[in-house]
Amino acid sequence: MSVPRWAAGVCAGLHAAGSRHVVYVPDNPLSHVLRALRTDYADVRTTLATREEEAFGIAAGLYLGGARPTVMLQSSGLGNSLNALTSLLLPYKIPVLAIVSMRGDAGEWNDAQVPMGRAVAPICDAIGVPHATPESADAVAEIVRAVGHTAFGTRLPGACLLPRRITVPLA
Amino acid sequence: MNRLEATRQLIAAAGGDPIVASLGHPAYDLYAAGDRPANFYTWGSMGLASSIGLGLAMARPDLRVFVLDGDGSLLMNLGSLATIGWVRAENLVVIVWDNGEYATTGGQPTATAQGADLEAAARALGAAQTATVRDGEEFGAVAARARAVAGPWVIVAKVSESPPSMKPPLDCVFIKQRFMAAIGAPEAATLGGTKA
Repeated sequence: MSVPRWAAGVCAGLHAAGSRHVVYVPDNPLSHVLRALRTDYADVRTTLATREEEAFGIAAGLYLGGARPTVMLQSSGLGNSLNALTSLLLPYKIPVLAIVSMRGDAGEWNDAQVPMGRAVAPICDAIGVPHATPESADAVAEIVRAVGHTAFGTRLPGACLLPRRITVPLA
Repeated sequence: MNRLEATRQLIAAAGGDPIVASLGHPAYDLYAAGDRPANFYTWGSMGLASSIGLGLAMARPDLRVFVLDGDGSLLMNLGSLATIGWVRAENLVVIVWDNGEYATTGGQPTATAQGADLEAAARALGAAQTATVRDGEEFGAVAARARAVAGPWVIVAKVSESPPSMKPPLDCVFIKQRFMAAIGAPEAATLGGTKA
């Protein structure tokens, strides 16, 4: 099974940003990224968390120990992460590169994904987490690298929002 | 066993190794028992102390990482025990100050007051070493063993509640920068000297 171009871009981008730890809660499109990391990036350690808030907590500990952590989650999990972001990462200025697989945007079929999907960018703006959205699969590597570079450089969490039109292109 | 007294014992057992404290009374008592740069005091993110400790233990296998959690806090993030069990971070020691109540918020009872057994939960979810201790002598012995024997450890310490009298530093960035410098991972931004 070949790796989709956008997923290869996520791997290349986070690696170029200096991240060697990915803490994640699984998501269907992100399984491509996890597979590519395991095959092509032996120096990147992946750790499964039971919940997104926990993933950000583990990532905070990794940063305290000198690592540059990435957290991968589905957009629905941003809701589960808010207390970790607002009462740990932001006040302590602990940076994390967040890779968010979007649900509820163009191409969605599941009603239950829509309200949070619509709220992701406004929530990031409201709490002060910078975010960027790649325009195409080809742009993913550079956007992920740039978001990571800014996050670790300014010591703030930063999010790359991966739209569904890139991760699950309609047939 | 009194929590403040047990915290003093833990600081002695930890040597120079890092201690991560859950918000509220565990952090206040850690400060009162012995402020040191390698103490990481959380001011929020209830439930995440053991997760922060796990990440730190993964990044720094050369250190023994001690976590001071509370029963109410751990109950908020029980999934952490499953992740700790899976990752098997041998250098992680989670101490749960179990007073059976949410003391920081006014003493409402927790599930452990109704018999919930956090040591059994930790064992079931994969912790390599577990213990429940009820007096200071027992606690001192198990804390010393936890520094020497491979974990992950989860130690449930049944403690009595006494209101702390002092708070740790309020500046979160100061806490972080001091902590990272103390464990030999200073932030480049703190030190200066990056490429002009």
